[in-house]
Formats: sequence, C-alpha cells, structure tokens
Amino acid sequence: MTTPPAHAEAVAGIARSDRTGSSAASASRARRAAAALPPHVWVAGAGLAVFAVAAVSPGVLAPGDPGEIDLAATLSGPSLQHWFGTDELGRDLYTRVVHGTRDSLAVGLGAAAVSLILALALASLTLTGHAVAVVVDRIIEVLFAFPTLLLALLVVGMFGPSPTTLAVAVGIGSAPGYARMIRAQLHAAADSGYVEAATVLGHPRTRILMQHVLPNALRPLVGVFTMSIGQSIVWASSLAFLGLGVAPPSPEWGALLDAGRTYLTAAGWLVVVPGLVIVALSLSTTAVGAHLRDRLEGGR
Amino acid sequence: MTDSPPHRLRSHRPYALAVTAAASVLALTACGGHHASVTSTSSADAAAPAEVITYGHQQEPPCVHGGWIEQGYLSHQVLDALVSLGDDGTVEPWLATDWDVSDDDLTWTFHLREEPTFSDGTPVDAQAIVDNIDYWLEGGNSTARVWLEGYVQDATAVDDHTVEIALADPYPLLAENLTQPYFGIQSPTALATRSAEENCSAPIGSGPFTVTEWNRGTNILLDRRDDYDWAPATAASQGPARAQRIDWRFLADPTARTAALRAGELDAIYDVQAFEWTKLQDEGYETHLYNTPGRPQQISFNTTRAPFDDRRVRQAFALSLDREAVVESVGKGVIPYEGNGPVGKATDGYSQTAADRYSFDPDEANRLLDEAGWTQRATDGTRLKDGERLDVEFPYAGGRTINQDGAAIIQGLQQQAEAIGFEVTLIPFPPSEAAAGAYTGQDEYDLSIGYWTSINAGILHVIWQQEVGGEPNASNSAFFFDDDLEDLIRTANSTTDPDAQNALYRQAQEFIADEALSIGVYDRLSTLAASPRLHGLRQENSQGGPVFHDAYLED
Repeated sequence: MTTPPAHAEAVAGIARSDRTGSSAASASRARRAAAALPPHVWVAGAGLAVFAVAAVSPGVLAPGDPGEIDLAATLSGPSLQHWFGTDELGRDLYTRVVHGTRDSLAVGLGAAAVSLILALALASLTLTGHAVAVVVDRIIEVLFAFPTLLLALLVVGMFGPSPTTLAVAVGIGSAPGYARMIRAQLHAAADSGYVEAATVLGHPRTRILMQHVLPNALRPLVGVFTMSIGQSIVWASSLAFLGLGVAPPSPEWGALLDAGRTYLTAAGWLVVVPGLVIVALSLSTTAVGAHLRDRLEGGR
Repeated sequence: MTDSPPHRLRSHRPYALAVTAAASVLALTACGGHHASVTSTSSADAAAPAEVITYGHQQEPPCVHGGWIEQGYLSHQVLDALVSLGDDGTVEPWLATDWDVSDDDLTWTFHLREEPTFSDGTPVDAQAIVDNIDYWLEGGNSTARVWLEGYVQDATAVDDHTVEIALADPYPLLAENLTQPYFGIQSPTALATRSAEENCSAPIGSGPFTVTEWNRGTNILLDRRDDYDWAPATAASQGPARAQRIDWRFLADPTARTAALRAGELDAIYDVQAFEWTKLQDEGYETHLYNTPGRPQQISFNTTRAPFDDRRVRQAFALSLDREAVVESVGKGVIPYEGNGPVGKATDGYSQTAADRYSFDPDEANRLLDEAGWTQRATDGTRLKDGERLDVEFPYAGGRTINQDGAAIIQGLQQQAEAIGFEVTLIPFPPSEAAAGAYTGQDEYDLSIGYWTSINAGILHVIWQQEVGGEPNASNSAFFFDDDLEDLIRTANSTTDPDAQNALYRQAQEFIADEALSIGVYDRLSTLAASPRLHGLRQENSQGGPVFHDAYLED
C-alpha cells in the first residue's frame, strides 16, 4: 500500500504508553472492557470463528468435494440445492468458498506475518546507530515509493505463482508502510521519559531495549497485525484476480473472483459472493483488530 | 498459426523474469502513457476521418507482421499476397493474375499484375516478390519459413512481371499455402532501408490500409489508401476501402469487449465468449464464425519422460477423459468438440477414424494403467508405482493460447483424469512468459495444449518433421521424432492427386492417434460479433481474420 493504513496515526500516537500500571488496575480494566464489548465486535468475532472452522475443517460446513463437476447444472443461480449457485463447470460455489478459506486465510496470515517481521527487522536496525539509521531510512523510503502491488508483482514474477509466493509477495509489498510506522513507535519509546530515567539509573542498554522500548512499542502492533490480515487478503485477491495467484482449480477467493469475472453478465453471483466473503473477512479482522488496539493502548 | 514462437528449445525462464522486471520498471517510469508514434503525421485529431470503424481485438502481437495468427490478422489489412483463397476454397488471383506448374511439378511460374504499388511508391514487381521469398527463407517470417523450407530452392525474376520458383520436391499445395496472411508481400525498399523496428510496427505493403500509428497497449490506427485498386476477387467491391480509418483496439478482457460492443463504443469485437453467442444474436448483432483448419486445440504428451513415455499411460489418459461432454457444456454448442489431435475437422484430408480413436472409457483406462504397473493407490486416490505418484504437469498459456472458455474446459478434463488416478497439476502462465517461450522444453511439462492454424494438412509436416534448420524441430511438442511418420507426411505433401494425398494425410493422423502422441480437445475458432450498423465485414477464407476492405457504417 502506498499510504500508511488509516490507523497509522492513532497507532503512532500511543507511544506515551506506560507499562507501570498496577496489575490490579489492569485486571479491572480488562473486566470493564469485556463488559463493554460493543456488538459489532461480537459479530466480527463470531464471523472470525466461522472462518476459522472453515479453514481448519471445511468438511464440517461443506461436506462436498469443491472440485466436483456437474455438467448438467452449469451456471445455475443460487438455490436451495446450491446456496451460492454453480460455476461454468457446475461446481458448487458454496462448497468452493468454504474450501477456499484455508488458502485465503493462510495467505492473509502469512503475508501479515512476513510484512510485520520484515518491518520490525528494518525498524529495529534504525535503533542501532545513526549511520545505520540513515541508510535504512533511505531504503524504507525507496521501497515505500513502490506501489505494494508492483513489488508483489515482481516477487510473483520471480518465483511463479503459489500460495507461499503470494504470502511472501504481499508481505514484502506491504512491509515498507509498516516499517515506517514501527520505526516511529520505537523511536518514540526510546526517546520517552521512562527510558531516559532508566538510562540515568544505569540500566544496561539491552535491558532497557527488552524491558521498556520493545514492549511499549510493540503492544499496539497486535491490533495492527490483526487489521493487516484483512488488508493482505485483499491484496492477495487482487493478485489472484490478475491471474497471478493460486493456480486453478483452487477455490482461493481471489482465484474465484478472477474465474467468475468472465461470466459477470451471465452469472453475477460468481463474483458477488466471493467478493462479499472477502469484504466480510476483512471487516471482521479490522473490527477485532481496532478493538484490540484500543484496549492495548490503555483503556481509551 | 503458432501458439508460441518457433525457436523455443531451451527454457527461457530467466528471460521471462527479465520481461516481468522490465515491464514493472516501464510501468514505473512511463506513467504518462508511452506512445510509440510510428510516423510523424500531421496531428491525428485535426485530420480525424469522418468514417472510423472501431474494432476490439483480444491480443496485441509484438509486430504487425509475423508468424503468429494474431499477426496475420493485422498484416492482412496492410499487406497483399500473391494469391487469395476464394469462398469456395479455390485459389484466386491477387497480386498474381495466374500461375502455371511445369510438367515435372518442380517449377512454378507466377505472372503478376502490372499496376500495384507499395504505399512507399515502390512498384510490386517480380524482384519484389523474389526479395520477399528470400526474406521469408532467411527467417523474416518464421511461419512462412517452415512452410517453404525444404521445398522452395530459389526464386528468380524472369522479367518485370514473372517470377519462377524452383522446388526440391513437388509441392502441389504451394499456391494454397501462399494464400495465408504470413505470406503478405512487403516493399523491398522498406525491407532494405528501414530498421527492423520500423518494419515491425508499420510494415509497408500494397494493401488497402496503411499503419498510421500504434499506441502500444491501446490501439493501432489503420488509414485507407485512396489509390488502392487491386483487391482480390473475393472482395465485394474493387477500389479503395469504404471506411477511412480502422481503430483496431486491444481489449484483453472478454467481458469488457462485449460490454463495449453493447454500449456502442465498438463496432465489432473478436473472440466472443460461448455463453454470449446466442444472446448477441438475439439482440440483433451479426456474428461470424470461422472454424480454423490446421492443428486444433490439442493436448500433446511429452513422450520423453515418465509417465507418458509409456504408450499405455498416454492411451489411458486419453480414455479417462469425456472430452466431448466438457466441451459441449462449456462451449454451449458454439465451440465444436474435436477428437482428432493432428488436424481439426475443417481441414481437408481429416481422419474421422483418428478422431474417434479414444472415446470415454474409464474401464479400459483403468485396465491399461494396471497393466502399466500403476496399481497402488495413495489415500487421495492417486495411483502409485514403486512409491511414485502418477502426477503430471499441465502448463497452459492463459490469455494467449487458451482463452477463458478453454481454461474452464481444461479444469473439467483435470477433474475427469483424477477420477482414474492421475494427479494433474495445472500451471497457467501469463502471456509475457508465453512470448518468452516458457514451458516448451522436454523437462518442463508432461502435457502441452495448443493449436497451430494452417490452411491444410500440410501442418502435419510443420509439426512432425524432425529437423528445422538443422536443429530438432521445436514445434514437435510430443518430442516424437520418427522416420516413418516424416516420410509418410513428405510423400503426402508431394502427391499431386488430391484424393491420394488426403489418404496419405489420413494415414499419418491415424499413426499419431495409435501412438497416442496428441489428442484433440476443441476446434480453434475465430469469432466476430458486429453491430447492426456495420456492414460488409467478412472473415478471410484461409485463416479467418476480419477483412475491413468492404466494411462501412450505416444506420
């Protein structure tokens, strides 16, 4: 993504976090938060639970074979027999969407993990010294100038399309944006009063880093990570839509979208259903992620 | 004709990578839209012609002229040929008024029209034809070369308007072959004095249109030549083209093409999706369908490596498929099923026996696999032999050789083969990799799908001859090199009696079917849909491309 996620400022603003609150206070805060869990977070959580079941054991939700063709029932609209309709080979779209969850979610999780690890590594380097920081900052800026999709395209071009490549490609593509965000977090924590105090007290640098800087800088990332899963799935679907995703007949959602657009005018459900599913998942992860972020920010 | 470039022996993955990288860099640096203006004509807008036919085509070739059918479609608007194919399948005069063959069948003499000129003013004379034949034989057009090499020894200008072609062996189909658009005649002045790039993007011919501008990635503008007066006999009218300009746009997405036609932004589109065919007809659009002769969309088996080095496994794969059912279902009655791998049913000398050789027979498929030793089964149903899985790799050039309907058909076949115990891995690869020759090497696939259009069964020679230019024939996608088969096809090529010739061609197809080297899937179609406002559009008879010479708009 070329622009930092919308929540970047909010996340960057949390560097003032304190980790010194008493455990009793935190516990009561947690209780309050749970009691006040807003309804949309409940809905999002329930949605994520369904997606998790679909990913772990799709057969529970859709016992059929996602590849099974039925040449007598091609391009039939949603019905009681085929909830989401069928495609050009008569394959049941509901079964395919459910069985495609695992690949889609794996790509989303994998990409989010790759991007955050890369971003963390780059950002941490900037703490090691001024000279290194200058170089790494320039690298981040150069990478940041590339559109996410273009970086991802390059990676897919180099290694050929597969779920792993897709996750790595999207991860690399979105890493620069997160690297910038994390860098700001780390530096805000490193420049804070409590770190200054620890330095004055003579604590060793590694201890300061591990005990004060990293925990305070990274806590908000739980929320960012969750939200980036949804974003990654959207990117991965875009690549698959361009024909650079998981090879057919995989029911990965982006691949379903790509295959379905051919029949857009005759069988709109082939595009609408996978599209809605992608939206539902990214909304769910965003809602849960935003909630986690707010809680970890310290009771906002 | 060919679905991939001819010289494609080795893997070109690094090149494909370079192409991708270069494309990415280009996309970065050239955000403003890269206009490859071919000529520095006066502002196109100021002189915008009144009558413009806007046509939406699916693929953009690298050059206007070349050995790929997509290039033939374009070059046919710009380059005339010696001869043309009539509506009844006979060879008709074009730049040549008539021709005769010596008694020993080894010398052909073409007599030329006197008045045609190239658009750069060079006369279309005998020397021009000779120069073009030399150019083809030197590889100037890869397809023209494979059709002539081994037969045409040399061409000479007897006088200004007479050309003699000397052959090594009788080649009775020569004139018919020359009707294909790969044999478009270019100005020898242009060939000698202009750069390869100029001749690629705006070749100079004697045709009814000239290339004015090529905006890469967007469109080519073809403008009428007002002094054109030598259309072939198949044309509805003589004299210049009726429309002033053809705006030949490139729109890869079939849904977008159809939508643009319905919205009135395009007057005609190419490659109509099967499910839209009757709908468009019902809505009043005119449709044109040409079943392209030559090699149909067929699957070749890589005979050099396991498991398809065993004929029984090849046969079992063929028998495991209900190709007809899948093609009928996806093709909605528009795309014809084709059982014959070597040539399609629109080709003279087609063998129905070869086409019927493998109809769906799962029991026999299972028996053959058991006999070949693939007796165990993995938990997912895939057959095993000595612990090896019966897995095969099936790459295809999505968006280039294989359109969306084709990709759906392939997935149907994959599912059917899996029921018998094959694990088929589909590897769709993008047009950029296909252009760079990806997935053509012996170690790069087990199954290969593609077509090679041609006007007659002479395509058998192109595919199954053992060597081209001293190298193993890269077009032989089964990697099956056999003296007997080559001799049979060469004998057929040199047989002057059409019935005897077709009998030999049929024999060759049946040999290929028996060995299970290649099985047919569906016939390659050239389809057009045109707005009711557009009149006079027709399809060229040798390869099916659109012909705009007689086309005009009228409400």
